[in-house]
Amino acid sequence: MPMRNVPYTRREFFQTGARGLGLLAFSGYAPLFLTKTTLARAPEAEKDRSILVLVQLAGGNDGLNTLIPYTDSRYYALRPTLSVAEDECIRLDDDNAFHPSCDPLRRLLDEGKLAVLQNVGYPNPNRSHFRSMEIWETASGSDRYLHTGWLGRFLDNDCCGSDRPPAVHFGNEVPQAFLARKSHAIHGIGRSYRNRRRGGQTVDLLESLLEHPEHSGDTNGAFLRHTMMNALATDQRIRRVIDNYRPMAEYPGHQLGQSLRNIASLIAGGLETRVYFVTLRGFDTHSNQLNTHANLLGVLSRSLAAFQQDLESHGLDDQVLTMTFSEFGRRPDENGSRGTDHGTAAPLFVLGKHCRPGIFGQPPDLSLDPREPIPFSYDFRQVYATILDKWFGCPADEVLDGAFERLKFL
Amino acid sequence: MTPVTPRVSPREAWHPLSRTRWNAGRARHLLRRAGFSVSSAEVRTSLRLGMNETVGHMFANPPPLPVPPSITALEAEIDGHYQRIRAAESREERQRLNRELNERRNEAYRDMSLSWLRYASRSENAPHANWVAFLLNVFVVSFDQIRQPHLVFRHHELLHERARDDYAEVCKAVSRSAAMIRYLDLDRSSAERPNENFARELFELFLLGEGAYTEEDVREAARAFTGYRQISGEFRLRANLHDSGRKTIFGETGRFDGDGVIDLAIRQPAARTHIPAEACRHYLSDAPLPSEYLEELGRLWANSGYNLGFLVRRILTSRIFYEPEFRGGLIKSPFRYYLGLLGDLRLDVPPYPRPVITPFRQMGQALYSPPNVRGWLGGRLWINSNTLSARRSLVEAFFSEVNEERLNADDLAALREARKTGPVVLSVSRARLRQLANSPPEDVVDRFLRYFLPGAASPEFRDTLVEHLSGSGDQSINRIRTVAMALLQSPQYNLC
Repeated sequence: MPMRNVPYTRREFFQTGARGLGLLAFSGYAPLFLTKTTLARAPEAEKDRSILVLVQLAGGNDGLNTLIPYTDSRYYALRPTLSVAEDECIRLDDDNAFHPSCDPLRRLLDEGKLAVLQNVGYPNPNRSHFRSMEIWETASGSDRYLHTGWLGRFLDNDCCGSDRPPAVHFGNEVPQAFLARKSHAIHGIGRSYRNRRRGGQTVDLLESLLEHPEHSGDTNGAFLRHTMMNALATDQRIRRVIDNYRPMAEYPGHQLGQSLRNIASLIAGGLETRVYFVTLRGFDTHSNQLNTHANLLGVLSRSLAAFQQDLESHGLDDQVLTMTFSEFGRRPDENGSRGTDHGTAAPLFVLGKHCRPGIFGQPPDLSLDPREPIPFSYDFRQVYATILDKWFGCPADEVLDGAFERLKFL
Repeated sequence: MTPVTPRVSPREAWHPLSRTRWNAGRARHLLRRAGFSVSSAEVRTSLRLGMNETVGHMFANPPPLPVPPSITALEAEIDGHYQRIRAAESREERQRLNRELNERRNEAYRDMSLSWLRYASRSENAPHANWVAFLLNVFVVSFDQIRQPHLVFRHHELLHERARDDYAEVCKAVSRSAAMIRYLDLDRSSAERPNENFARELFELFLLGEGAYTEEDVREAARAFTGYRQISGEFRLRANLHDSGRKTIFGETGRFDGDGVIDLAIRQPAARTHIPAEACRHYLSDAPLPSEYLEELGRLWANSGYNLGFLVRRILTSRIFYEPEFRGGLIKSPFRYYLGLLGDLRLDVPPYPRPVITPFRQMGQALYSPPNVRGWLGGRLWINSNTLSARRSLVEAFFSEVNEERLNADDLAALREARKTGPVVLSVSRARLRQLANSPPEDVVDRFLRYFLPGAASPEFRDTLVEHLSGSGDQSINRIRTVAMALLQSPQYNLC
């Protein structure tokens, strides 16, 4: 059982009383998550529910230098300065090797916790960052425009209106993947969340202002005040869980590592959140890609490995699945500035105790004209459908507005 | 929500507020609600002019809505573009051309969004822009859905130009609006297979409201609107697709065409109160008014010939508009909140789209893209933890200096271009806050409260702010900043 350090009852809440929230005692308004009768009794049986952690690799990850077709001579021909030498690669089988920075991922693969899907993409690929990310996040065809995200539609389908955040993202912008038709208490956690609350002094003052019931009864003012208190209380609750957490793995100091640490803390804290979204930026490597890309892959690999280990040590790995995705891969041939330009299909990682390990699919066909898109082997919506169906047990075809083949990684 | 019970009688409610009761507080209420923000100079002017003339001025001569160049260019070139797509020799070529066209549509959409906000942010335009925003939420079309920015723009322009006309004429013009023809499927409606979408919304949303018509009325009315087409944005009635036969609508029989249906519908009793009730939700209260009040307003409106200019002026000059229970209790839409902040902080609309388009989406009001034909329902539905967080972030953004080195090349070029015509103020600078640093805390707080909040704050509320401002340990400029930000994030500032 995960440790329970989140207050579930009114009394418990006030005993642990976080600074500034004493105001609730006098206000006549408590956050809804406290007043719900179910919570006054016991936590809902949600702890066993499956959780998805999405790691967005923003900018377009170079798939060919992540999972390397090291026995294909054309790889070396296409990349005179950017190819990784055969003896430096981490060999996985007769066709595939990992980039040297990915050793932690190799271990996860060996331990049977990692699935690697080759050439994930979609038909008629778009090479604009914005548009392609929109396609991935809304799970639309490249000729359709949707304004809800695939996870937003999952929430629409699965969650009843709850004031406890069903989805949490790191960073200030709500991911498009979370946009939904109904209203969900989606929560955003700012970049430098730890040790510093968002808005600092301003939030303190705002909370003090909320103490004064300028409006009472069934007025818009009272409604606004109540909703705002609720949002701030969730914020505090999350912050406290994060601050009190003792990780059982060593995370890299990088932002991604810290965000994953915070996600582990929220899962361990028993938050009801089903989906977490975190972003690693910088993959748009048009020039001098070698070191940049090696560093990014290192951060990614070490962070994911630490996260997985932490979950295991806390006995939480049973309920968590982690997936990476990027808007596109990069072109097979390097450009004139020791970088690579926007491409199409690329590999994708799925990590977790319950995934079927291994490499799925064949290496990309490098005999094609490098200006042509790398053909996709898996449609990303097949990946989503598999997760929605097999992991979340939710009507995938409805969420994705279409029937997509389920894959074998779960 | 509990209905409001006004203290004035239904008859008195819509009488003009007497001259003797016109004062600075009421002027502020008017300016803030009709527009988005208020300055001391505007309050002085409106006290000098009096209420009637102030309201008269608000809607007298709105400058034309500027046409963004990318809209004009799209209009000129889109047909040629379609031809090239049709003539494309390979699938790849066609895809490339489609992508190109999509990119231009998005660009035009971004331009028209910024252009509209720029227009609305000028205080002399604000009341008219606010009224047109209301009409756009009645005659809904959606860029997200039809993806034709130039048609949506012309639709907006139509409402902008006709916002003070007789309502039946506006409905007729809207039935010929290319964007509407697309959005409600008039272009798929023919004598042989009439499509009821437009006719239904005409009755339900534009003219009468639910329950004031029968399914048979909708079916018959749909026949009258068959053959409505648009070619390159221009209206055409295709006689061979139009059903000119006899129809029976609201119990009357004749060879009605579309305009004839609108003339019939506006004479229905429900037409008197439908739009006035919507307008009251926009300007007075999101809680419903008792029906006696709406009937009285509807009677006056019918006497004006269902004139829209009359309706908005009447509401804004009425006694009921200034009654205490109708002041400071309306939840600001994101549009009002955003433009209110710009006005109150004297900031300019950023000349590049990212910091504008995204916050609107996050606050739940993607510009020109209402979620469905009913439009945004507004009121409390604007507010949840997510949209509140977006509103708070917006305030934070307006108090953080923009790091120009981190702008991308396009944004930077747009900023430089905008600066050619004058300074562009994107955030509240420390220098501006410094000007307040030597004033006594009480004065600073009172000034903020007077100009930011719609009503009087309680002494405790005020004391909390004064106390923070008088505190020590932090630089006084930071404390002023904190006080201003917390105030603009407070529930009270989310009301108008």
